[in-house]
Amino acid sequence: MSRMLDLAEEALRATGGDGDDAEVVVHAERSGVARFAASIVHQPTLIENAVVRVRVARDGRIGSAATNRVDAEGLAEVARRAGEAAGSARPDPDFPGFAPPAVYSDVGGYDEETAALGVADQARLAAAAIEAAGDIGLYGIYTSGVTEIAVASSTGLSAEQKTTDAVCLCLAADREASGWSERTGWRAADVDPAEPAGEAAETAERTRGGAELEPGAYRAVLEPVAVADLVRWFSYDSMGAQGYLEERSYFCGRIGEQPFDPKVSIADDALDEANLPKPFDFEGTPKQRVPMIEDGVIRGVVWDRMTAARAQNGQVSTGHALPDAWRFFGPVPTAFDMAGGVAGSSEELAELVGDGIFVTRLHYLSVVDPRGGVLTGMTRDGTFRIRDGKIAEPLVNLRFTVAMSDVFGEVPGLSRNRRLVNLSDLYDERYAHAALVPAIATAHFHISGTGSGPGL
Amino acid sequence: MKALAEAAVDAALGAGASYADARAVSLRRQYVITKNGNVDDLSDTESDGIGVRVLVDGAWGFAGSGRLDDSAARDAALRAAEFARAAPGRHKTSLAPVEAHTGTYRTPLRRDPFSVPLTEKIDLCLRAEEGMRHDDVKVTVAMIRAQREHKVLVSSEGTNVEQEIYECGGGIDAYASSEGVSQVRSYPSQHSGVSGQGGWEYVEGLGLDREAPRVGEQASALLRAPACEPGRTTVVLSPEQAVMQVHESVGHPTELDRVYGTEAAYAGTSFLSPEDLGSLRYGSEHMNITADSTTTGGLGTFAFDDEGVPAAREPIVEAGVLRGFLSSRETAAQLGAGGGGSMRADGWARMPLVRMTNLHLEPGQGSFEDLLADVDEGLYLETNKSWSIDDKRLNFQFGTQVAWEIKNGQLGRMLRDATYTGVTPVFWGKLDAVAGPEEWALFGLTNCGKGQPGQEAHVSHGAAHARFRDVEVGVSA
Repeated sequence: MSRMLDLAEEALRATGGDGDDAEVVVHAERSGVARFAASIVHQPTLIENAVVRVRVARDGRIGSAATNRVDAEGLAEVARRAGEAAGSARPDPDFPGFAPPAVYSDVGGYDEETAALGVADQARLAAAAIEAAGDIGLYGIYTSGVTEIAVASSTGLSAEQKTTDAVCLCLAADREASGWSERTGWRAADVDPAEPAGEAAETAERTRGGAELEPGAYRAVLEPVAVADLVRWFSYDSMGAQGYLEERSYFCGRIGEQPFDPKVSIADDALDEANLPKPFDFEGTPKQRVPMIEDGVIRGVVWDRMTAARAQNGQVSTGHALPDAWRFFGPVPTAFDMAGGVAGSSEELAELVGDGIFVTRLHYLSVVDPRGGVLTGMTRDGTFRIRDGKIAEPLVNLRFTVAMSDVFGEVPGLSRNRRLVNLSDLYDERYAHAALVPAIATAHFHISGTGSGPGL
Repeated sequence: MKALAEAAVDAALGAGASYADARAVSLRRQYVITKNGNVDDLSDTESDGIGVRVLVDGAWGFAGSGRLDDSAARDAALRAAEFARAAPGRHKTSLAPVEAHTGTYRTPLRRDPFSVPLTEKIDLCLRAEEGMRHDDVKVTVAMIRAQREHKVLVSSEGTNVEQEIYECGGGIDAYASSEGVSQVRSYPSQHSGVSGQGGWEYVEGLGLDREAPRVGEQASALLRAPACEPGRTTVVLSPEQAVMQVHESVGHPTELDRVYGTEAAYAGTSFLSPEDLGSLRYGSEHMNITADSTTTGGLGTFAFDDEGVPAAREPIVEAGVLRGFLSSRETAAQLGAGGGGSMRADGWARMPLVRMTNLHLEPGQGSFEDLLADVDEGLYLETNKSWSIDDKRLNFQFGTQVAWEIKNGQLGRMLRDATYTGVTPVFWGKLDAVAGPEEWALFGLTNCGKGQPGQEAHVSHGAAHARFRDVEVGVSA
């Protein structure tokens, strides 16, 4: 038994009796972030922390409290506050109880070499990225860390997972040019910082002198980083049970319908070792692979225990309860698995587009109309014109306002190779998650305005 | 806490740091959220720890530890120094001078929000929810939050300050849907309501239950309202929407770390350059923006920022001309002007960054009705719904929960799905009126994201109704 599971069990014992049911989740992090700008590490951050969250259920009334004071006094106090909250709450008729004990898949996701990376290693790997970018300034991060999740509850559930991750995000830029690339993996050996740094620098050099573009309807190639961002933002309202039950989801009333191109299939699959694998969620429920879109047909959304109970149709949790800090979203996918196609490269996708635009990365997305699946945002760090099936001259950053039913409605092709794209912005406690997605060609990408040129 | 911070600074200096500061922080947050008549979330979180920042040979290092004891404090200092020493690059960090201060600050409050029984908070939420029930309203949500942050800052330059800051807030949302259309109406704001620095009296002053019937009724009415048509017209922004405009298109671009590029990879940069100070035409003569970390009740109010720089009120834009940046001691030294004062960290586990404090659009004159009276045709836009702006903070697009037609100086029909778009200095150049002090209101936001690892800042903005001519509206897919 790990120290974190010990801690969870100790906190569970501190919840005492009174006929209460209780659940404890320990979320621990040890990480380093070497953040660089203009090829200098300027914000290096080391974090060590363990948070204990206690939920108490008393006659269907739920209260929770959390602390990072993990001595006996701190655990007693957090248990007392959770009990006090439960005592003040009102019974929730939908509360399904805490998760029962379960058997978990052995999914990997932990690498000793990655866990052993220290300050000097993180600095060295950041330096490797900086060197590979050459003369152009490099901006971004190299980070690695260990995350431990332990769950114990009065149902007898006792579970622990230890994961590692390494991420290198690279923006190569000067005043007139900018390019982006990144790598993510649970083995640091799979994340060679020189690769994204070199790619970002190469892209940046091609962005000088970005031209304006008339707003309108365009065909487009979207690189994996851009695809991942679109899918993530689409998912917040549309692919989670909360948005679905509350009728904000584009999927409402469309289960079984086929609004998307048959080449589009998107699942959530945290069990896949090619992603950042995890055996269970923050309620201790085993992770399931959940098909959300299959061959263009809408199949369903992801669930946690409370939303499954609220559905009142026999639905069960798919293992998508999230960290407490994300409570406003309800359950949402965090391990996207989008099927690839047959195109051998983004250049082949450009041939399918013929005349259009090439998008490397998106910026500052927002949901304009959740039910309609309408998103807006900007392109950045590698936007180009496609002419005669070739990637051509650079463009300024473009504002897009798109309905996802259009973007995925007609997809001439997808790349065979897929890229694991980081989705974590490292807020709150570390919980690395990612999207395994291809580049795509779409027949519909609505440009609604123009912004600044590439570069700083 | 003071002794631990002092121990950390001593350890950092012993490890070769030329400068060090340590923040010992004890943070408590409480949320009460009800949804559809049930208690959806009742949570109470505390987080204690120490963050140590060092300069070694001109390179920064930072380490945080979630334990408040002597060995953890010293260990964090040593790890921060080790990281700084290992950090690649040609480091040349200098800091604008600041007088060493000692002192204390505590939020003035009448009633400690943590002394208010949970049952009282739940009752208020449920009453507000009940008030929002209306035809086609499928989901009602009410939220109340409280926060107490006790922090001690000690630096190697002699700063030794202790602050205890209380925040409260709340908000309500009604989600209506029918026949494939979904709409939301919120009060006092989207994005988790609003918050202010103060005690429970702040929540009571919001009048959540008083406003609830209007919120529910409008959410339902939006389902049958016509959509906002595309075109160019005059828009009048509500104070709540005007502060979002200030936040995104003035606050972030005037953060000096963005101007110097250190946020480039994540949050982005700025269309401004250091040379623009004192000369750049940001907007019309009606545009006056002030950064004020002394504002009563502001979420960005303190006695000292997280570098120990005293609170101040400073102009950012005067009569449409750029007059100041938000800065740290480091960026102020780079600029050769100012002395910092905007450095803030999200808890003990993050390095301070240049953040907004309280950033206000100063009032003009006249009433809301006076602003409307000069509009033959236009839109009145209320309550933010969507927001997006490019990495240099130029091209923006906002959506609002509701729009009202303006015809011949009077409010008319309700419209749904309103959006407007523009380019920052062009848009602010079209500002032709701001309502007077009697219409000015303060809004506190708790979800301003920046940095890697990510940090959420709590900031306040004040604004009155603001009128802009010739604005593109009704952008759709």
